[in-house]
Amino acid sequence: MNESIISTLPKRKQLTLFNPFSKKDIPFAIGCPALIWQILFFYLPILIMIVSSIFLLSKEGDVQGVTLDHFRACLNAMHFSIIFRSIGVALLTALICLLIAFPFAYFLAFRGGRYKNLLLFFLIVPFWTNFLLHVCAWFFVLEKNGFLNNLLLSLNLVKEPIHFLNSFFSVMLMMTYHYLPFMILPIYSSLEKFNFSLYEASSDLGATWIQTLKTVLIPLTMPAIRLGFLLVYIPSFGEFAIPELLGGDKYYYAGNVVTHYMLGEHTAPLGAAFTVMCSCFLVISIGLFLWLTKKLSKFLMGGCQS
Amino acid sequence: MVKSRSIRLAKLTKSIGGSQIINEVDLHIPSGEFFALLGPSGCGKTTLLRLIGGLEKVDSGKIFLGDTDITDLPVHKRSINIVFQNYALFPHLDVFDNIAYSLVVQGIPKEEIERRVLKILKAFHIESHIFKYPAQLSGGQQQRVALARAIINEPDVLLLDEPLAALDFKLREKMLIELIELQDKLKTTFIYVTHDQFEALTLADHMAIMNHSGEIEQIGTPKQIYEFPVSSFVAKFVGTTNLLQGTLHQLGEDPYMEVPSLGKFHVEIPQKKEWMSEGCDVSMSIRPEKIFISKKPVKNFSNTLTGTVSSIVYHGRSTQYNLLLKDQTRLQVFEQNEEHFPQETIDYDDEVFLYWQKENVVLLEK
Repeated sequence: MNESIISTLPKRKQLTLFNPFSKKDIPFAIGCPALIWQILFFYLPILIMIVSSIFLLSKEGDVQGVTLDHFRACLNAMHFSIIFRSIGVALLTALICLLIAFPFAYFLAFRGGRYKNLLLFFLIVPFWTNFLLHVCAWFFVLEKNGFLNNLLLSLNLVKEPIHFLNSFFSVMLMMTYHYLPFMILPIYSSLEKFNFSLYEASSDLGATWIQTLKTVLIPLTMPAIRLGFLLVYIPSFGEFAIPELLGGDKYYYAGNVVTHYMLGEHTAPLGAAFTVMCSCFLVISIGLFLWLTKKLSKFLMGGCQS
Repeated sequence: MVKSRSIRLAKLTKSIGGSQIINEVDLHIPSGEFFALLGPSGCGKTTLLRLIGGLEKVDSGKIFLGDTDITDLPVHKRSINIVFQNYALFPHLDVFDNIAYSLVVQGIPKEEIERRVLKILKAFHIESHIFKYPAQLSGGQQQRVALARAIINEPDVLLLDEPLAALDFKLREKMLIELIELQDKLKTTFIYVTHDQFEALTLADHMAIMNHSGEIEQIGTPKQIYEFPVSSFVAKFVGTTNLLQGTLHQLGEDPYMEVPSLGKFHVEIPQKKEWMSEGCDVSMSIRPEKIFISKKPVKNFSNTLTGTVSSIVYHGRSTQYNLLLKDQTRLQVFEQNEEHFPQETIDYDDEVFLYWQKENVVLLEK
């Protein structure tokens, strides 16, 4: 009798290997392609990069042994100044993008009304055309007798055309233009979801607009601000096309150095070493940034978070 | 000194997206009053509250706080606080910081903030949750935090926007009592918006009934509103009622109302209204509990009707009889369940007599 009862009970679950057709494993199965992609095209290349940075190459380009010489070669003032310049430009780009993006996203989310989607559409439209076309378009705007100079001349703001092209200004302009949507979109989607009655509650309790911004709006959208900042900061650190096309040969950035070494003859290990060095600086600066935003959040909150 | 001021609305009008939400509302809410604003969903009562609180801009008309015109005063400068329907607690701040918020933005010294917050935490019995975040609190606890946050800076007027709507029945009853006691202690003017007549009747010193066009139909004490509604909208919206349509006759002496196919019913006109005239159309409202139901003939009642019991609903403290009259009109009657074993049991399809006194009906303009 006992046996018959036991046979009706559900069987103890047996440990099975991954089965893509069982319901429980579906989330894992869905995640698998991304994981494989990540391993093949992200972790593996990094590994190759790190490994190849210590290769000693012969004149013919064959691997002869292992050395730290490339790293020693990398540690010079020129490389450091290039890395710091890149960090500076990336930081400035992210900062300018943030200063433009936050008010824009704020306006779009709270005052956009029924034009929200249309405005968002206009934001994304430029991305339907090729990056090089953007640059060409900016050439027309910035060149000596281009749109901007003609405008300034006709308004009598300047006497002679300004050399916009091949300058730090044009690089920053293009960087900001190119990366701005990466800052706007996360902040917008965060503000869009923002519970507006929190804003109302704050002003109802006597907070001015600035106080509400500092103590409620910014702290609650901080994750999106961080995300947008990183989305702009990281790629603009490695940007090489924009300085190449619009910066003339006056300014060299980390991205240009990497391309130079990587494409040069037998200098790939040196490039790899430089890249590893850049990555280290990038990771440190990001850690510093995240720590700073925490402090900033606390500072903005004033006494509101005891 | 008790900090409390009156609110006066003068010809307040507001439309949103082209449709009139608030229509020339005049309202005076005395200082220290527990005032309820009752109306069906979507009648604009929340908009009225938001206008008083300053969250919406007035189209025309004026709002006075005491003697001060606050129509154009920005929200953060009004000494009026709101308890939001969804509480709107700051999710990134713990209970202490949520409650302290209004004091911190005013720049009050830290020691005083701590003293005042701790005092109010104790008063609301939430001192054990001081370091929890809103997401870690139950609905009732969130409600208490929202209340504490809104009263800690001692506003002149507290606005409550259906604050109990999200709570279960038992908790709601408990919070109702707590609200009454709180208002009694603070003597702050409370304006309570609800669509729940039970809450309004329980809480309010005075209440206003709003209709669908954003107008106020009647202002009065809960008893005045319930017993003497001025319109069929109020009579139907607050409580349950039976409305019979007919014509009014003999206004001078022993007035009666004639209902086609049901007969004549004696009525009382304590105060002649301007719309009343000989033979005018009229609705008669009789509350279900004002009707006595019996299978046997009874004397001493001014009016009688006969009907058939179509269904019986047992409510516990009372029983509801749904009746069908001979002209197919439906009528409701509530009887108190006073005894375990009543002398007379009424069953489905029984022929019954219905009795009511003429002074217990209200005549309404049709």
